[in-house]
Amino acid sequence: MITVSMMVNGDAVSRDVEDETLLVDYLREALGLTGTHVGCDTTQCGCCTIHLDGISAKSCTVLAAQAEGRAVTTIEGLAQDGKLHPMQEAFRDCHGLQCGFCTPGQIMAGAELIRTWEGPLDEHQVRDEMEGNLCRCTGYHNIVKAILQAHAETRATVDA
Amino acid sequence: MYPFIYRRPASVADAVRQFEAGDDSSYISGGHTLLPTLKARLAAPTDMIDLTALPELKGIEETDEGRILIRGGTVHADVAASALVREKIPVLAGLAGSIGDRHVRHRGTIGGSVANNDPAADYPSAVLALDGIVVTDRRRVAADDYFTGLYETCREPGEIVIGVEFPVPLSAGYAKFRNLASRYALAACFVARTTSGIRVAVTGAYNTGVTRTAAFEAALAGDFSAEALDALDIDPEDMLSDPAATGAYRANLVKILARRAVAHQGEVLIYK
Amino acid sequence: MTPFRDMDIIKSLRAVGQPLKRKEDERLITGKGRFTDDFSLPDQTWTAMVRSPYPHARINGIDASAALDMPGVLAVLTGADAMADGLGEIPHNPVPSTKFDVKLTGRGGTPVYIGEHYLLPADCARYVGEPVAMVIAETRSQAYSAAEAVMVDFEPLDFVAGTREAAAPDAPKLWESQSDNILVDATFGDVASTDAAFAAAANIVDMTWVIGRVTGVPLEPRAALGSYDAETERYTLYAGSGGAVRQKHELAKVMGVEPEAVRVISFDVGGNFGTRNRAYVEFGLVMWGSKRIGRPVKFRADRSESFLTDYQGRDLVSEVSLALDANGKFLALRANNLSNVGARCVSLSPLSKGSGLITGSYDIPVATLRSRATFSNTMPTQAYRSSGRPEVTFAIERLIDKAARELGYDRLDLRRRNLVQPSQMPYRNAVGSLYDSGEYEKNMDRLLEIGDWAGSSTRRKAAEARGKLFGLGFANYVESSIGSPKERADIIVHTNKGIEVVIGTQPAGQGHETSFAQVMADLLGVGFDEVTITLGDTDVVTAGGGTHSGRSMRHASTVMALAAEDLVEQARALAADILETTADKVTFGEGVFGTPGTNRTLGWTELAVKAAETSPGGLRVRRDNEMHQPVFPNGACMCEIEIDPETGQIDITHYVTVDDVGRCINPMIVHGQTHGGIAQGVGQALWESFAIDPESGQPLAGSFTDYGMPRSDNMPSFLCEIAEVHSPTNPFGIKAGGEGGTTPAPAVIMSAIEDALAPLGVIEIEMPATPLKIWNAIQTLRAATPATAQTELV
Repeated sequence: MITVSMMVNGDAVSRDVEDETLLVDYLREALGLTGTHVGCDTTQCGCCTIHLDGISAKSCTVLAAQAEGRAVTTIEGLAQDGKLHPMQEAFRDCHGLQCGFCTPGQIMAGAELIRTWEGPLDEHQVRDEMEGNLCRCTGYHNIVKAILQAHAETRATVDA
Repeated sequence: MYPFIYRRPASVADAVRQFEAGDDSSYISGGHTLLPTLKARLAAPTDMIDLTALPELKGIEETDEGRILIRGGTVHADVAASALVREKIPVLAGLAGSIGDRHVRHRGTIGGSVANNDPAADYPSAVLALDGIVVTDRRRVAADDYFTGLYETCREPGEIVIGVEFPVPLSAGYAKFRNLASRYALAACFVARTTSGIRVAVTGAYNTGVTRTAAFEAALAGDFSAEALDALDIDPEDMLSDPAATGAYRANLVKILARRAVAHQGEVLIYK
Repeated sequence: MTPFRDMDIIKSLRAVGQPLKRKEDERLITGKGRFTDDFSLPDQTWTAMVRSPYPHARINGIDASAALDMPGVLAVLTGADAMADGLGEIPHNPVPSTKFDVKLTGRGGTPVYIGEHYLLPADCARYVGEPVAMVIAETRSQAYSAAEAVMVDFEPLDFVAGTREAAAPDAPKLWESQSDNILVDATFGDVASTDAAFAAAANIVDMTWVIGRVTGVPLEPRAALGSYDAETERYTLYAGSGGAVRQKHELAKVMGVEPEAVRVISFDVGGNFGTRNRAYVEFGLVMWGSKRIGRPVKFRADRSESFLTDYQGRDLVSEVSLALDANGKFLALRANNLSNVGARCVSLSPLSKGSGLITGSYDIPVATLRSRATFSNTMPTQAYRSSGRPEVTFAIERLIDKAARELGYDRLDLRRRNLVQPSQMPYRNAVGSLYDSGEYEKNMDRLLEIGDWAGSSTRRKAAEARGKLFGLGFANYVESSIGSPKERADIIVHTNKGIEVVIGTQPAGQGHETSFAQVMADLLGVGFDEVTITLGDTDVVTAGGGTHSGRSMRHASTVMALAAEDLVEQARALAADILETTADKVTFGEGVFGTPGTNRTLGWTELAVKAAETSPGGLRVRRDNEMHQPVFPNGACMCEIEIDPETGQIDITHYVTVDDVGRCINPMIVHGQTHGGIAQGVGQALWESFAIDPESGQPLAGSFTDYGMPRSDNMPSFLCEIAEVHSPTNPFGIKAGGEGGTTPAPAVIMSAIEDALAPLGVIEIEMPATPLKIWNAIQTLRAATPATAQTELV
């Protein structure tokens, strides 16, 4: 057993867990933040995507201990002061979700993509950058639309 | 996963000591090869030694000899975005930017890739084709001596890859055809015109792991053009064969990808 | 067919037809979804299954001693223990039983033998991955570790995995009481007339098609949490399902208790596609386990377990022949379809649904169909996205492509001259299916227009200039929506929180909380925001048919309309009281009740308050409805692809559909269904295969490393248009929109590939058409002389 402490969604947390605990299980089981999901066991589906110090990562493939002292953002922490993140709004606007299981991972991946992407972003690039996030319901069409819409909106806000 | 003891060393020397003190130790870097293996219960290390916080393993710099040193803990995304790598060896930056997916690139490291030598990994083909030098905690090894077979390297147990030094080539090109499921390379060719000659390194295809294709190198040395490879063939018997790709198919891909890498020097071509 | 009567209550449609944003999304985009694994109970334990590594093996003994010694282990339970506790079979009821389902039988009309499904077998394991024991431990990791230590004395038996191999009379048998593996062998249609038509035909075209095994891959791995309350003697089960009510009844039978002793909770479900339509053994096992050890028991499958042991999809071999006259008119069809149901029969939906649609969109006067099903040592199959219809659509559409090519017709013309015409509706096809409505040629015309079929030759030249092979594919489709015939709706008008509808469908992404609210809002004349839909907890949802086969909107809207009628009548009486008049003088419109001679109007909430004064239940109704009449969504599809001949790599560059879903309640949701459906059909055509190695009986694709999936970077964007030809069978005129995307997709992709390779020759590629197979096909064609370049299977 080890004590693992980190910031999660702006709050300092500390839990005693088994050494081999994965970050996703720390979030879901130790902290009760069940918004991050486990969809596979080969690091290929992306349902577990979170932000680690602002950068997207698959939380099923990070040991909780590797996040010691770092800042984690989960889907529960994306909205600020009761206001949804533009990516969350865009997913709802564009019907970018159906069953909702892959959705937290998609939104976290999309949010980090548009925050860090420099210059124009086109459909082809979105499709390339999102290949690590599987969806079985939407056929991706509306997910791509949502990400492009959120990108355009955040650019507009920045440029305005 | 089976239980293990997690250890966080403060230095490379510390890491090696902890490794040797454990019954059955494993290093973890990005973890994107190791953790899936452990989840499948294919291995049960007793001690997990975390290299990700070691400062000696971070950074990209130019050495006094003008080689580009990428330290082992550098993640693929940082190599892809590095102004220095993009300026000096742009195809290496492009290769790093094509590994796995975006999230994998935020965690996976060159040290992990080179230490593991997965037969379908990208970096080994770059290290071999660019005539790189693998720098470990105890020696410097030329690429030709470092990769010794399928999943095999000359590393001793506990030996840590501190970084890889890449000589700057005259030109380079990389062409990769991905497995449609795993997205690893079914075959990929890194073709470089180095200061010590033409080097063609193939990953994903040979049953000997990452391998140089001597016949291609000889032909290209005489005539650096795609057509120079027309008369040559790869022996399907030398290839890996599995349900996704037969030996004959891989042999075909190796040739096609080599031609395209030659014809598109300076570019990274990814087929998926 | 008796059209459904006009209903006055379906008048001013405001919300219906609008692309309203979904109510579900608020919780799902903020991480507040309630998927099964999100639930935990105090003092809960975990279970892991001990699974057979063999495709077929006798269980001679189970030694749990080593496992029981391991940390945290509380119990190891086996099939023998389950037998001793009197646990019953899961009553899958696999033979579809509505009035209009095709009647599948055993040989000579005998009942279908389905193979018992106990929670854990005591005799044999019959497929790789079949659970033979369960371990219960404090943590999930401890349970999985201990499962590895359970020693099972397996005696490997002869096995058979391949579909045609399993159907052979001398194949290794799965069920000792049977003479072979054939559980269904029934012939439909007019044999004599079919034979006569073939004998007189100017041309006959035939082919054997293999539509292989795939698996649904919902992103949420299956999970279950069971607990038993010894005081109330009730079981509670959290388990994502395709129908909580059905599974409550089934599991009650398994446990040997009354249905009211079981509560099933199925809130957010991470994708179904058919995989969750039948109960899994783990659902019963966690219930049983929790009673045995007196603590809740939880199960969550790894993705590798899901690949191995989710109920799988498709797996049909179809031999089809088409007889044509000298002018290209279709005279008759013969089909011989063989379905591989796996180790036991959980559902015959694929074979049955497909059987009714072998003639597709075409007016073929006579047909004969022999439908057979075989057991095999593989995971049981059941309905999967458009169960049975993509297979038979593939068979006829690809056969027509072949006929066009061999007989020198344009493939669109040949189709046009044989389409069922609107004037023929309702149209009874040659195997007895009664198509309710549709304008098939109009769909084609519209598709060709919006898809710019005429412009494809320009795009072809451009692709060829880049060194690519260009392929243009086309397919028509008609598919069927039948589904469980019964549905129930409760409408409760609350005094303080609007209108609640309780209904027994089970969405897994289809947006019922939204689209059903749109329907009820318009029925009662209230705002969309005032209606909430309650689903998924069998203590509240007392009856219902679940969600499958595109049944939900059709059944739900119908029973909601009938319930709304009843509610209006009840409300009228209350209003009459308040307005001091008689019920026949009370008017209802725009959501309010009134009467001539006064401006006073009464809204729903006011009437609910009034009702609460006199009746404990308040203002509410319950209505049941039963509908057997199927409906037939239909449409047309085209696509363009480019193939790199040097590598076999294939890109989809254009994908267009026109889909007649009947009345469309929410076009945003329907488009989403089409998109997802397309991806699953394309996935089968290009990447997906749950293949079994014939030598070892072992599955070859147990993870995403080997099982190719549609991803954001291999799927194109789509151009989809909805057509609305209202069905006369139900009051809203609904057909279904959930499965039309998938139905033509395998056919249209393979049609395009055939077109792309046509300059080189003709060769059949068995799906999935991976780059390896396409490259192999090209090599074969290039090596062959013109005389021999035909029908070699790769």
